[in-house]
Amino acid sequence: MAYHTIVYLFLFLPLVLTAYQIAPRKLRRAVLVGAGYGFFWLISRKLVVFLIGTTLFTHYIGLCLTWLKQKCRMETDSCAPEGKSGIRKKYKKKEKLVLACGIILLLTVLAYLKYYNFFAHNANQLLEAVSVPLAFPAKRLVLPIGISFYTLQAIGYMADVYWEKVQTENHPGKLALFLGFFPQIMEGPISMYSQTAEALWRCDSLKGENLSRGCVRIIWGLFKKMIVADRLYLLVKAVFDHYEQYSGIVIAAAAISYTVQLYMEFSGSMDIIIGSGRMFGVVLPENFRQPFVSRNAAEFWRRWHITLGVWFKTYIFYPMSASALVKKWNRFGKKHFGKYITKLGISAICLYPVWLCNGLWHGPRWSYLFYGMYYFVILLFGIAAEPVKNGLLQRCGIKESAWYWKRLQILKTWVIIFVGELFFRAEGLSIGLKMFKSMFQNVSLHCLWDGTFLNFGLDKGDYLVIICGCLTAAVVGGIKERNLLGDGGLAKLKTPVRWSIYYALIFAVIIFGAYGVGYQQVDLIYAGF
Amino acid sequence: MRDFKDKIKRAGKTVLFFAILFALLTGMSSMLTEISKKNDNLIQSRNKSLIKIQKEPPNSIDVLILGDSLSYTSISPMQLWNRYGITSFIGGQSGQKIYETYHILKTTLENQSPKLVVIETDVLLRGRTGLGRLKDKLEEKGSYYFPIFRYHNVWKPLLMGEEYAEESYKGFMLRDTIQPYKKGEYMKKTGEKIQLSPFVTDYMEQIISLCRENDIKILLISTPSPVNYNYKKYNALKEYAQENSLDYLDMNLKVKKLDIDWKSDSLDKGDHVNLLGAQKITRYFGKYITSRYDLTDHRGDAGFEMWEREAKDYKKKTKKKVEAMQNSLRIG
Repeated sequence: MAYHTIVYLFLFLPLVLTAYQIAPRKLRRAVLVGAGYGFFWLISRKLVVFLIGTTLFTHYIGLCLTWLKQKCRMETDSCAPEGKSGIRKKYKKKEKLVLACGIILLLTVLAYLKYYNFFAHNANQLLEAVSVPLAFPAKRLVLPIGISFYTLQAIGYMADVYWEKVQTENHPGKLALFLGFFPQIMEGPISMYSQTAEALWRCDSLKGENLSRGCVRIIWGLFKKMIVADRLYLLVKAVFDHYEQYSGIVIAAAAISYTVQLYMEFSGSMDIIIGSGRMFGVVLPENFRQPFVSRNAAEFWRRWHITLGVWFKTYIFYPMSASALVKKWNRFGKKHFGKYITKLGISAICLYPVWLCNGLWHGPRWSYLFYGMYYFVILLFGIAAEPVKNGLLQRCGIKESAWYWKRLQILKTWVIIFVGELFFRAEGLSIGLKMFKSMFQNVSLHCLWDGTFLNFGLDKGDYLVIICGCLTAAVVGGIKERNLLGDGGLAKLKTPVRWSIYYALIFAVIIFGAYGVGYQQVDLIYAGF
Repeated sequence: MRDFKDKIKRAGKTVLFFAILFALLTGMSSMLTEISKKNDNLIQSRNKSLIKIQKEPPNSIDVLILGDSLSYTSISPMQLWNRYGITSFIGGQSGQKIYETYHILKTTLENQSPKLVVIETDVLLRGRTGLGRLKDKLEEKGSYYFPIFRYHNVWKPLLMGEEYAEESYKGFMLRDTIQPYKKGEYMKKTGEKIQLSPFVTDYMEQIISLCRENDIKILLISTPSPVNYNYKKYNALKEYAQENSLDYLDMNLKVKKLDIDWKSDSLDKGDHVNLLGAQKITRYFGKYITSRYDLTDHRGDAGFEMWEREAKDYKKKTKKKVEAMQNSLRIG
């Protein structure tokens, strides 16, 4: 039951909204938790025990950390000043141990279910190569839906409790709501406890304004998913499934199409998810902020899958920056290599685990690891080349804010994104490399008008709709980027204008949506991660 | 007081918004249905039979045949007309599901009053479970009440000028390919039976009661198809028909009587029959229904001139195709 399906939009969501509204305030939490577990069960059946288990385990780790902190406080309060530091150190050690246990166990479950077969396959190849008569058996492992998302949220919660950013509750319900809020289960956004738990726990009554804003956001998501993404899916699938038959422009077009498809689909799903949350009065964090206006790869990742980036930054990058290793290198580097190399070294030490995890998080494939490393190298190169670039700009008299320089940077970022997504989508790293190479072979613009692009299940009408859909999304993105409508959004417009926009959106989805005869329902890409 | 007034105003606005939306949906639905009726080349194959049957003159169809691709490849209404003067129409769709069968019947009954509804039983064997079933059901209901969801794609041929022309005779498709079935006997006697899905039997109940309300007889038929039928399925369908007092004819048990030769009559290795097979099946089927049901011979009746014209064209076309098929069989 993906979020764009008729069952979710016209049955599940309205039923939960109704049950939530008619239930007494105290029972509303139970309705939401029940809806979350029900949603999970409908997709992953009995694997819902993983979500329940993770919730309970995380809750008790949180309680344990809080108990240790309280005990530490009590002991330090009642002891002599010279002994306080020793007590604090003792308890910090214990807290670290508890936190490490919590994180390791959750990661072990995730790693076993998600990566065991990948590990076994590669280990077996290695063992065979060195003639060791040992083999890891392949296992039929079923992944609970959304495990990569709720595991990160759970780890984030434990770390936040450890850092005393949030306080634990004795009742596990609040955490259950935080980890199992049904709109977030399949695809995120990966929220922090401080962002959503309170609003979920408050269980405010439904409000007309929230309902209408939520509905509009959902329809906008459907617009992106059904009009653009599901159409491009046909082209992308046709080329990537038979990549050996194509080269040059066709491969490049497929890489661009996949990037647009992924953006329209993932951000469209996010619109539906955020809209669903909004209906309950819960403001979920945004996951996309006009990523295609980014001037470099770093900015792109601040605008694309934002919550994943923020999670890695908060729970990997910052702790790494403050780690003993970085401190040691800082001292050593400044002494022996100077500021520039030291800074580069620190960036490498902190960024490497972030991008390794980013690649791994997407799934057990070398191509995903390559994808992570691709961005690691690009970002590091960006940092390394910064002084050279600044010097060149100064010499040439080009201002950073010059419009043509901005456009050039955006164009360069597009190339980086498209190439990255080519490897991301290709069925394996070797295929990705082959496709990348073939992009530079038989380059001829002839295929743009000889009918090649009409062989992918799309006709001229489809391409026209895709272009119009992208232009509409670009205009909406531009309005958002410049904040032309302010905080009130469409609500500021006069009723006839607002309603005309709503009807236009609804009928655009109904008439131009890629559904029914000739199209197929496309599963959510990120639900697979 | 002001709060109350505001609330009423907001509620009124919401009602007005949805009323306009409902009116737009209804209006656009009937507009698209009319456009599709005017030119059925605007819609793609799967929805054609639904539109075409709505274009037939009111109360002109006596036999309505429903089912999946087996229905429109096995029985030829024009052959029935030529031999018996029976007016029949095939409301078949590829991979038709039981709720689609129900809704085509319901739509047909809006301006037709058939005496006999024939259901090709392959639809009874196609059950869906869980969320997929719910999804299909909701989609079909939505498309039935608001056909805009079914015909939304007509913008494409209207705007781009590319139409989806298809040759069909009252729903029957002339298929002249020959791909023999070579695996031998497929109806091996057994006491075992498959289980019909409750989803299917629930919809069948609705179909039966709709037919009974309109005084329509129901006949279940299984057309010859080694890929789709076996004895276990026959047992289940026979038992179901008996339990519900429905007539049931399984032609898979009468392949010899029908004179089906799987070397020449198979379209795609035993999945469907081709034109040669359809002619044999229709011959038997025509005899069967005329001997059991009170069906009128409309040949020469006023208002059926179109049938005569279409029948002539059909005769010409099939003659050519049959000759070509026989030639290709001779050449080997």
